[in-house]
Amino acid sequence: MSLTTEKAAGSVRAAEKDTIVNYWPAYWTMICLFVFYVAIRIYEQYFGWKAGLDSFAPEFQTYWLNLMWTELPLEFIAFCGIGGYLWKTRDRNIDAVAPREEMRRLLTLIGWLAIYAFTVYWGASYFTEQDGTWHQTVIRDTDFTPSHILEFYLSYPIYIIAGWGAFMYARTRIPQFAKKISLPFLLFFAGPFMIFPNIGLNEWGHTFWFMEELFTAPLHWGFVFFGWFALAVFGTACQVLDRVIELSKEYEQDALSL
Amino acid sequence: MSISTEAGAPAGKAWKSKEEFLGCVMLTDWILLVVLFAVVLGSFHIHYMLLAGDWDFWIDFKDRRMWPTVAPIVAMCFAAAVQSFLWQKFRLPIGATVACLALLVGEWINRYDNFWGWTFFPINLVFPSALIPMGFWLDVVLMMSGSWLVTALVGSMGWGLLFYPINWPVLAQYHQSAEIDGVLLTLADLIGFNYVRTGTPEYIRMVERGTLRTFGKDVVPVAAFFSAFISMLIYFLWWKIGTWFSNTKYIDADEI
Repeated sequence: MSLTTEKAAGSVRAAEKDTIVNYWPAYWTMICLFVFYVAIRIYEQYFGWKAGLDSFAPEFQTYWLNLMWTELPLEFIAFCGIGGYLWKTRDRNIDAVAPREEMRRLLTLIGWLAIYAFTVYWGASYFTEQDGTWHQTVIRDTDFTPSHILEFYLSYPIYIIAGWGAFMYARTRIPQFAKKISLPFLLFFAGPFMIFPNIGLNEWGHTFWFMEELFTAPLHWGFVFFGWFALAVFGTACQVLDRVIELSKEYEQDALSL
Repeated sequence: MSISTEAGAPAGKAWKSKEEFLGCVMLTDWILLVVLFAVVLGSFHIHYMLLAGDWDFWIDFKDRRMWPTVAPIVAMCFAAAVQSFLWQKFRLPIGATVACLALLVGEWINRYDNFWGWTFFPINLVFPSALIPMGFWLDVVLMMSGSWLVTALVGSMGWGLLFYPINWPVLAQYHQSAEIDGVLLTLADLIGFNYVRTGTPEYIRMVERGTLRTFGKDVVPVAAFFSAFISMLIYFLWWKIGTWFSNTKYIDADEI
């Protein structure tokens, strides 16, 4: 390779390295998740009716319980792996982060938040209401129904992992979130996270006294309470925007003129 | 060691140029709006479906007593909270409409893809309640009055009262009476009986409950008026909850 070409390639690499915003990793993550969710929806369409009605049948084990025993360990590994990686590679000199790098990290955090929001939609809206129509239509004979295996034990852990990644990214790389703990961000992660342990209450209640599915039954209100905490996205967004504004003071008038 | 780099930007500055700043800000604003919309959608949807969902899912639950009482009260929570955030932080009087739109996007996707697509109920059994005009009303009152107190009193009253009329054009046809095997029932009841939901048997269908059935013809206005009254109280409470969730506090690690 000639010296000129190497020089040109080097300057391109430097320009790429200095790019302030790159949302493509977030876009690609969401595209992959979308394709994955559509795929499992198709799986559910077919094997829900074919193999998901009788939990004592061998095909239920094959098509549903095997799925659950596969997804749960993978989710646990992903949760630990993402948290561990972000902690291991944390910025150990957080006070020395330059403004441009801090801005880059704030924008990367917004990419993480976009992934979290995307997964919250699929978990809290799509798969949760879907659970309503399945359980109001069919009789369950197990807590681990096809709907639950994809809702409680797949879509919820996925949004928890995404929220955990966003929270840990901020804690390990962005000075304002690293030096102190953001109350709204903590609530934004921890509230929806608590929906997962609340499944214990839900399944215990359904198992011991309430096999029917009335969606508004008080047994379900724990999900509602913890779901409210997702509104702490308001404070989280304000904290990010506050810092973006601080770092962009010189262009305040330009922003206002938009 | 920090992995910071200052290449290309003036020392101590975040941006290389005004163009870079403006382009990035506009893109990021849009992404943040999508983030807020998706989170409100998910959060509002799980709240609404588990507090008013049964009346919203099924045409034979959309009665004259429980549904117009419960649905507006439950929906008011997020309308007020989102209004509180968008008004106080950005002076945008669109919070209630945005919240209602978010909820309805989630509901319509679900009713088509899952209620119809997976469990094969006809859409005219499972369409969601209309809420957007109530959101418009609440936002218009806030915009014109500039006061959350006035919105709580006037807006919430309209919110509760509007619910049944805005749903009536779609609902009316299903409240026609029918006589089947000597039993008087509505068309909505009939659809419900024909599309059996085994997990939700008839004995847990909460419709038309009450002792003074001779008051039957007057129940909707009474239910709507009561719903409006509670919506006022809910508005006050959830405006404050929305404010609280908009806080930007930090705490020390040793506090948790």
